[in-house]
Amino acid sequence: MKNALKILILTGLFCKPLSFIAQTDKDKVEALRITFIEKKLELGKNEADKFWPVYNEYNDKVKAIRKNLRQSFKRASDNISEKEAEDLQQLDLKSKQAEVDLHKLYSEKIKTIIGVKKLVKLRNAEDDFKREIINSIKEKSD
Amino acid sequence: MVSNKNIFKVLVLISAFFLLLHKTEAQESFDSLKLKLPKHYFKTVIVLDAYRKPNQSISDTLDFLSKKLKSYGVNQFIFSLTTPLATFEHPVYDSTSAQKNTHLLLTANYMLLQPTFNGIPTHNLVKAGIGVRLIVNSGKKGIWFIDAAPFVTGDVSYSSSKPYYRMASTIVYSHNKSARFNWRIGITKSFMWGNRNYLPFIGLRFGRLDRTNLSIQFPRSISLNIPVNPKFTISFYTKPQGGMFNFSNHDSLYYIGSASSFHFTRYEINTGFRADVRVNDWFNFYVALGLSTKNNVTFYSEKANKEKRNTPYHTYFYNQNMKPTGFFNAGLVFKFGKTKSYYNNKNLYDAIDLNNTIDGGDNNTSNGNTQIPIESKNLKKQDLNLKSVQDLVDYNDF
Repeated sequence: MKNALKILILTGLFCKPLSFIAQTDKDKVEALRITFIEKKLELGKNEADKFWPVYNEYNDKVKAIRKNLRQSFKRASDNISEKEAEDLQQLDLKSKQAEVDLHKLYSEKIKTIIGVKKLVKLRNAEDDFKREIINSIKEKSD
Repeated sequence: MVSNKNIFKVLVLISAFFLLLHKTEAQESFDSLKLKLPKHYFKTVIVLDAYRKPNQSISDTLDFLSKKLKSYGVNQFIFSLTTPLATFEHPVYDSTSAQKNTHLLLTANYMLLQPTFNGIPTHNLVKAGIGVRLIVNSGKKGIWFIDAAPFVTGDVSYSSSKPYYRMASTIVYSHNKSARFNWRIGITKSFMWGNRNYLPFIGLRFGRLDRTNLSIQFPRSISLNIPVNPKFTISFYTKPQGGMFNFSNHDSLYYIGSASSFHFTRYEINTGFRADVRVNDWFNFYVALGLSTKNNVTFYSEKANKEKRNTPYHTYFYNQNMKPTGFFNAGLVFKFGKTKSYYNNKNLYDAIDLNNTIDGGDNNTSNGNTQIPIESKNLKKQDLNLKSVQDLVDYNDF
């Protein structure tokens, strides 16, 4: 049993340095973004219960599209073939079309839940948050 | 004259038509990208938990067995796993109901328990089991939680002890009156009080799960949880811990010498302080210290067990309450897999809390609820790196 405790402590010590290498604060930024939007929108309990699952679903899909696009372009090397370049460009167009389509669809869904006025507020809140982040990065680099 | 109700119906129908049209278009263009999205809301969680309570002498000097056993302490190690098997979505996109979903999870656990009596050699008691749990998010204010955790116990130190099968189970309905108040009601069959009791499950929570909250979950725990920041949470808690195990009669503790084994039960109530550190997305750890009170040990025979197989036992040949002592508990929690987003989805926070509060192996351990994101109040400069803000950056211009 004492050995079990030792193994536990050793595993912890081993994991700790690794974890800091792997750590990103993506989730922290995302949590902050959600809190920011929550405050700006001032949703009622019933609205919030319905809004957040749909909004999360939309974000998951948009993020998946962007990540896929980002990675595909990153993978493309300098001596990319004509065919590969054409495929990439098609993927770019398809991805943007999919984003627009999703935006249309989820705007309608969200509108039925929170109404058009709050939908506009949501857009503004997202922009405001981006601006805050950009300002913070500027401050960081100064 | 056309009534308002009819106008409303026509408007709803027109909206539904356009929504359906958009949905088909959007789904087609999204599907054409063949992207893989996470399937579940729950991560696969592995917990390694170690618990130790030092030996203390048994104060009863009259009883023959007390004299023989001399002292009592506990060393315990638990491995537990919870993994999602299937998630069923029942999407509703209107103003009347929120998203509904059903989750099927697999639980597995292994416990090595060493009740240390100075007067006899150490016995290694093992408890292992695989169970399933169903969590139904009704999409309104309620979550249904059903858990079945069959397990086998045995004394692996001596081959004379035969394994014994038991099953713990819980059914709970959890109602989110608001994000700040939740009540739960249900029934649980548990062995953690050192007996096979069917107990009512009554829970109350005051405060949001992602902020400071007081959670009273009878018969499992009472805890005050204080998130200091998104990475660090402290809690003050009290909870019972215990179980029923087969115990080899190798040391002739049971006076009928021909009996190869008997039943050993123990429970204690632990009150203490716990710190949970969320190192990153896939790893967190905790340490807890406190006082262990109401320490009880009971031995009863196989005959007494057989006579009342499904009801609490009342006949025993040894029963002893020990003095309070300190305890130490530490654990490592590993979380694997990507999940669908559930930010601010209070029903899913509650489902995750149920999954974590009621552990799969009836050991009453907790992995710290770290899958629930803690509200972030401000950003530190070091939080801002390209990875953390990449999804926010629009790069449509070229």
